[in-house]
Amino acid sequence: MVILLELMAVPTILLLCAWLCKPTRILTKLSALLLWVQVAVVAIVVHPALLTNALPLVILPEITVERLDAMFAILTQVVVASSLTHAHVFFAHDDAHEPENHNKLRLFYTCATLFAIAMTSVFFCKNLGLIWISVEATTLCSAPLIYFHRNKHALEAAWKYLMICSVGIAFALLGTMFIFASSQYGAVAGGSLNLDQLTQSAPRLQYPLLRLGFLFCLLGYGTKAGIFPLHSWLPDAHSEAPAPASAMLSGGLLNCALFAIWRVSRLVTDSGHQQLVQNADLTMGVITVVAASLLLVRQHGIKRLFAYSSIENVGLMLAAIGVGSGSLFLFLAINHSAAKVALFLISGNVIQAVGTKSLHDIHGLLTVSPSWALVLLLGGFAVTGAPPFGAFAAEWQLLANISQLHLWPALVALLFALAISFLAVSVHVGRILCGTPKQMVTAFSPVYSSAIPVGLIIITLFAGLTAVHKFLW
Amino acid sequence: MNLPLAQIPLLLIALVAILMVGSTHLRLNIWLFSAQALLVTMATALSAVQHSDSHLYIIAALLFVLKVLAVPKFFMYIIEKVEVQRDTGTVVRAPVAMLLSIAFLWLSYILARQLPVPSGDTIGWPGATAAISLLCTGLLLMLTRRIALSQIIGFLVMENGIYIFGLTQTNGMPMFIEMGILLDVLAGVMLAGLIAFRIKKNFEHIDVTMLTELKENL
Amino acid sequence: MVNIQNALLWGYLLVSIVIVPGIITGLIRKVKARLQNRIGAPVWQPLLDLIKLFRKEETLSETASWLFRFSSALNLSIAVYLAITSPWISPRPDTGACDLFLFLYLFAAMRLFTMLGAMDTGSPFGPFAASREATLSFMVEPAAILSLASLALVARSSDLTVVFSNYTSQHWALWVLSGSAFLLASLVELSRMPIDDPTTHLELTMVHEAMILEASGKNLALVEFANALKLSILFGISAQCFLHAIPGLMVNASPTIHGIAGLTGLSLVAGSVGIFESLSVKLNWRAAPEFIAYSLAVALIATLAALGADFV
Repeated sequence: MVILLELMAVPTILLLCAWLCKPTRILTKLSALLLWVQVAVVAIVVHPALLTNALPLVILPEITVERLDAMFAILTQVVVASSLTHAHVFFAHDDAHEPENHNKLRLFYTCATLFAIAMTSVFFCKNLGLIWISVEATTLCSAPLIYFHRNKHALEAAWKYLMICSVGIAFALLGTMFIFASSQYGAVAGGSLNLDQLTQSAPRLQYPLLRLGFLFCLLGYGTKAGIFPLHSWLPDAHSEAPAPASAMLSGGLLNCALFAIWRVSRLVTDSGHQQLVQNADLTMGVITVVAASLLLVRQHGIKRLFAYSSIENVGLMLAAIGVGSGSLFLFLAINHSAAKVALFLISGNVIQAVGTKSLHDIHGLLTVSPSWALVLLLGGFAVTGAPPFGAFAAEWQLLANISQLHLWPALVALLFALAISFLAVSVHVGRILCGTPKQMVTAFSPVYSSAIPVGLIIITLFAGLTAVHKFLW
Repeated sequence: MNLPLAQIPLLLIALVAILMVGSTHLRLNIWLFSAQALLVTMATALSAVQHSDSHLYIIAALLFVLKVLAVPKFFMYIIEKVEVQRDTGTVVRAPVAMLLSIAFLWLSYILARQLPVPSGDTIGWPGATAAISLLCTGLLLMLTRRIALSQIIGFLVMENGIYIFGLTQTNGMPMFIEMGILLDVLAGVMLAGLIAFRIKKNFEHIDVTMLTELKENL
Repeated sequence: MVNIQNALLWGYLLVSIVIVPGIITGLIRKVKARLQNRIGAPVWQPLLDLIKLFRKEETLSETASWLFRFSSALNLSIAVYLAITSPWISPRPDTGACDLFLFLYLFAAMRLFTMLGAMDTGSPFGPFAASREATLSFMVEPAAILSLASLALVARSSDLTVVFSNYTSQHWALWVLSGSAFLLASLVELSRMPIDDPTTHLELTMVHEAMILEASGKNLALVEFANALKLSILFGISAQCFLHAIPGLMVNASPTIHGIAGLTGLSLVAGSVGIFESLSVKLNWRAAPEFIAYSLAVALIATLAALGADFV
């Protein structure tokens, strides 16, 4: 209970600030500061769970922290803090043009704070029902973020996001109910959604119902994560949301949805049917990677490009879940989140500076703003898994795991898709960097606007150079 | 027809969903949704009596207040504001969709018969039939309608189906989860309703099939 | 004693065949007239019209062959045969079996000969309407068959006299559903209101009327009578369906009560059709399939109910 209070203290202050602070200049600065405090708070609170894996840290009954949960929670907090710190730069530019957006900003910060709470609770909940509620809450809190610009495109993206994700999530609820039903035939008296109870009695869960439950959860949470045939909301939402929101969606939300899939997959694995998990998750993951890399080739919007790259990375993470490796999933997530947040934040600035999202009109960034160009270049390499970034080590490990399982078609498809996506992103980023620039408004201080992205790139570089995951487990 | 009392609301729920697919008048659809929610409440109450389960009574009361009264009221308010009466539907016309939904009802009966049923339970298979057919019917409503509001109603029909599934196939989900789900869904509906407002304001129509500006430039 | 009762029943049936079609047609017209604030012709006016037509001289198209007049005569004979065998009115004498498929496809045969007759005269409107009639007939066929077949499924017999001799009203919901589905299908079969306006005077939009444009005098009287009889049979069948749904009404009831109930039911159905026709507008030709789809939907639900009742 005390831990819950500690975790909720800073967000509560943030919500109060967003409610009371009329001048948004103070709000943006204050929240940046508070969010880094929150990162520290979360890190301190969950560090017992990081040090030992023996006993989970109990916050409330059914809300506990284990090592993987703790890592993901810290990652998400870092993503939110980075995005909203950078949002100060981003909205300061917006402010100059539209003085009337104080209320919009206050709503944005309120929703972002709630969004962060919902995302964190996805990682801590040990109850499938609570996980579902948290994931649905992330949808509800993030829809206003997408609708920030209040124009037609934002409206369309928000509507699609809300509708497609709600329907998807509804299927996940059905899947959750199937799993609940599967537990009531002898496994747990009266049935249960508590993951600890379910895991303990996993072999006694009724398999046909469990299988249906798993598949529906994969379908439902997969919609939220943007796996291939159900990804249509993702590029729209990422492209139309303001850059900090895109960064949070890509670096935080997708991890949450995948984490829910991870929970269910673990349960099915524990029940002795890892073949099902492997078939479903790995297949869907590989299909997503291949489709996303092909779609990456012809893109016309800078943020849509990175959105498809996110889909590709979601596919990789799903494949990592499929091979049953939590550490690999985490390592991929860390690298993707860090690099992609940096890319979205910078591309938000680029769009503000050039005044267009179209890749045809953004050229010559190298001459205009070398620091941004550097971030884009390194970030582009980092998300496509070029050495020496962390994603390279992670993808190498993933391919090694897949080859150990003798899944040669998946291996070939992944190699092919990774090559294509690397080429596609490099070519697109190359076009942005080179050429002659059209008119550019350079109202940005290069130090402020690049600080956070550069820091994130350094994180993934560090992860790659030291291959942190070797030491994590 | 000598059906047990508990089965009657379940079968009627499925029939009401089929009628909703067949009707293109928004007001009628909202009334039908309200009726469906009332039937869902009745099914919950009957189940509460059967299992003498106190928490189901609370859920039933909540369902009555929120789904039977509040949500239809909210929809009526939106309809008045956005000034739409009918949903013209997409390529698949309402009666054809109705035939499809009847086919889905039959399919879901076949599927429901293959699910294991809690022992000593008379509402197992009608519940599963109603649930699966509601899911399909709700999806069908969402796919065959143009007006944003009809799509939200379709989503709610789906959600009713999932609720019915939980009610009849399990011995009752834990109450706080049930309430959390209800709250989340309602918040989602409110949010979607507000966005529908905005669509009407910005686009001068509420036809969501015409929201196609953000397409792939392939 | 049995013989006298049988003779009385036969007499009742034959008198009904002669009188009821005219009265029912007149009743519908009367209801529509009253709803339009007109007094309207008396309900027996169609009978007088028939007598008048029989006395009139006939004009025949020069291109018409023997088929033209033959089809009218054949149609009337089919209608009379069906009126004798099918349970559209109660009480009835024992007239042998009436298979539901034979019942429906003899009606289809009537349509076939009406269409042949229409195309035979060389009028441009006849073939035009015949093609529409053919389209409608194949679209409405599943609905008509399913609505009666669902009843047959529960009764485990395709003989309509057997199906309709079960008065226990155990499956009341099924009876109501089948009756409604059959009534909706009959409106299409008979080319009545939402599909075709029988009082229209625009040949381009007519279906049934355009097919009988060339008929006159005695020939027209045959056509009109056959059609009125068909209407009474179809509405009578749905009226009987509804009567079967009322619990305890027809069980062990005397023939008099059967007769009153049957005639009242038929009149009520005809009256409600009149009200419905006054309230509705003729549908666009392209919207006709939608109306038929609604009747098919009701018929399908009836079938599902029948299958369910069968399993439970």
